Amino acid sequence: MTDMTSTHPGAADLHTDTALHEGAEEKRLGLWLTLPAQLLVLFIALFPILMQIYISLTDWSPLDGIPWYRAYELWIGLLNYADLASDPRFWSALWRTCIVMAICVPVQFLLGLGLAILFVDDFRGKRVLYSTILVPMMVVPAVAGYMFFMLFQSGGPVNDILSMFAGRPVTIAWLSDPDLALFATIVSDIWQWTPLMFLILLAGMVSVPQDQQMAAVLLGASWTRRFFTIVLPRMKTIIIIAVAIRVIENFKVFDNFYIMTGGGPGVATETISIYIYKVTQQELIWGYVAAIALAILIVLSIVSALAIKKLRGAQQ
Amino acid sequence: MQNLGKRFGDFTALADMDLTIGSGEFVALLGPSGCGKSTTMNMIAGMLDPTHGDISFDGRNMNGVPMAKRGVGFVFQNYAIFTHMTVRDNLAYGLKSQRVPRAEITRRVSEIAELLQLTPMLDRRAAGLSVNILQRLAIGRSAVVEPAIFLLDEPLSNVDAAFRAVMRAELKSLQRQFKQTMVYVTHDQLEAMTMADRIAVMDHGKLLQVGTPLDVYNHPADTFVARFIGAPGMNLLRGRVTGADTGLTVDLGAAGHCPLRAGQGGDVLFGFRPEQVHPDPAGPMEMTVTTVERIGARTILHLAAGDHSAKAVLDSETPVPDQGEQFRFAVTPDDVRLFDAATERAL
Repeated sequence: MTDMTSTHPGAADLHTDTALHEGAEEKRLGLWLTLPAQLLVLFIALFPILMQIYISLTDWSPLDGIPWYRAYELWIGLLNYADLASDPRFWSALWRTCIVMAICVPVQFLLGLGLAILFVDDFRGKRVLYSTILVPMMVVPAVAGYMFFMLFQSGGPVNDILSMFAGRPVTIAWLSDPDLALFATIVSDIWQWTPLMFLILLAGMVSVPQDQQMAAVLLGASWTRRFFTIVLPRMKTIIIIAVAIRVIENFKVFDNFYIMTGGGPGVATETISIYIYKVTQQELIWGYVAAIALAILIVLSIVSALAIKKLRGAQQ
Repeated sequence: MQNLGKRFGDFTALADMDLTIGSGEFVALLGPSGCGKSTTMNMIAGMLDPTHGDISFDGRNMNGVPMAKRGVGFVFQNYAIFTHMTVRDNLAYGLKSQRVPRAEITRRVSEIAELLQLTPMLDRRAAGLSVNILQRLAIGRSAVVEPAIFLLDEPLSNVDAAFRAVMRAELKSLQRQFKQTMVYVTHDQLEAMTMADRIAVMDHGKLLQVGTPLDVYNHPADTFVARFIGAPGMNLLRGRVTGADTGLTVDLGAAGHCPLRAGQGGDVLFGFRPEQVHPDPAGPMEMTVTTVERIGARTILHLAAGDHSAKAVLDSETPVPDQGEQFRFAVTPDDVRLFDAATERAL
């Protein structure tokens, strides 16, 4: 349909030079009128980041007794970044966060997709079940953390249920075993955020044109073939959005992890956010924290950029 | 189709339809919205199950056969092309779904592409193709799996009027080329008249008449078909048939009278095509001109007399009276169609 305009190249010539000139003038006036607001928005958006960059190049701490804008007196250049590069705790927290993400996002995606498939058709009690499934998403993450903290106590419901099946008392110390603690926190994240994945994927699935699927049926395509050749490809955009949201959110995971384990035992569940929190609260070296925060911002920006690039590709 | 019916709750979408479609025939289901034509088509395709009655292909009963197994080609209103795939993948979709060997898929796809002149764009993405290419692709995609019957659901309704004539011609020639049985659902009589071998006129879930386009035009089975077919439709005036010395005539009250060839005495609806009005200063019928519409090659007169209203279509050369003037005309007895005043069926 876009050809319609290009087939009439003469149309553009109808505009006289004066009209073009007036257009440019009008544009410039518009820029001047909106400039103050644009600068304000730019300032609000960029100020915290610029401040972070500035602080990250110093050894400043609020306990030093000098205001932040005089932090240049403690200028250390890129030393914080050098420290960061050789900080094993930072790298292990980053690696752990990536593992959590690599488990949580695919599991949430597959569960969400499965639920979406079930909910795309009508069945009895669909509305009630639908609202029920969405409940975890609405629970405050800190509360969810506390719920799972209780569930995974050695005398808690999870062990009680396992005892019933095992026929003998099970007393697994979920939250004090390094591997199991990570498992328990991951379970809590999956519980809380699968519904969001489900909600987004269902919206995408419902919007796949019905007649396309009907056409595929009439051509003799099986359900599986339809799903992989029509439904999934048509959901590409929404899948990229859903996964990108969850990857970014998962990178920032904090509340439930912190409440369930405090990052422990040891550093077994210490994600990047928990690590930053601890450095800030316990060691008060803000220049260093700023450096970590910027490093993460860069990582997430790359993730977002990749997602946006993929989206552009999918929309063409 | 025998005794085919469909009810949605208390609503009867289709009542006792009997229709036999010959192999290679192009049948148009024609009727206004809600007449049951789409319901009929969806039942042929297997998207809906009939409430009663049978559908058979080649003597094989299709009731309960899932739509994937019926061998029905369906061209959707918007063509339902898989726009995220290439033209080639669209054409190959059905064959791949039926697990046809790869070498045969390649051969059949290139054959059909050649036939439909789609070869140059086989590797283009189907998104952004023009509408006539989409139509060819939609037909090709279904035709490549060699369906027993082709169903087309108003495929031209999204096409702008100027292009429709091109698309109609192309569709008709494709149908001839494939010698394919086609059922075409439309509310546009022009499409039905120009393309179909036979037209099935439907209204309110009833099949009113089946026949060739000329048959349906010349010998409408009832007043609905008479009004629906033709633009403008047939004029119908209430009258009374009386036998006089000079022969049988129909008395039209304020509009005069008209001689008849045959008929019985009684109340009738007197029907004649607007195109068959002959201006005649000594004609037996007279009505007042209320509007004169000049549309290039033809002139349409809107006429009234008493409770009667009618239209006359004359070619633009013919001198016509002005608005408000009296218009005298005659209708040849051969062109007269009479309908029973009570049942509205043709006499």
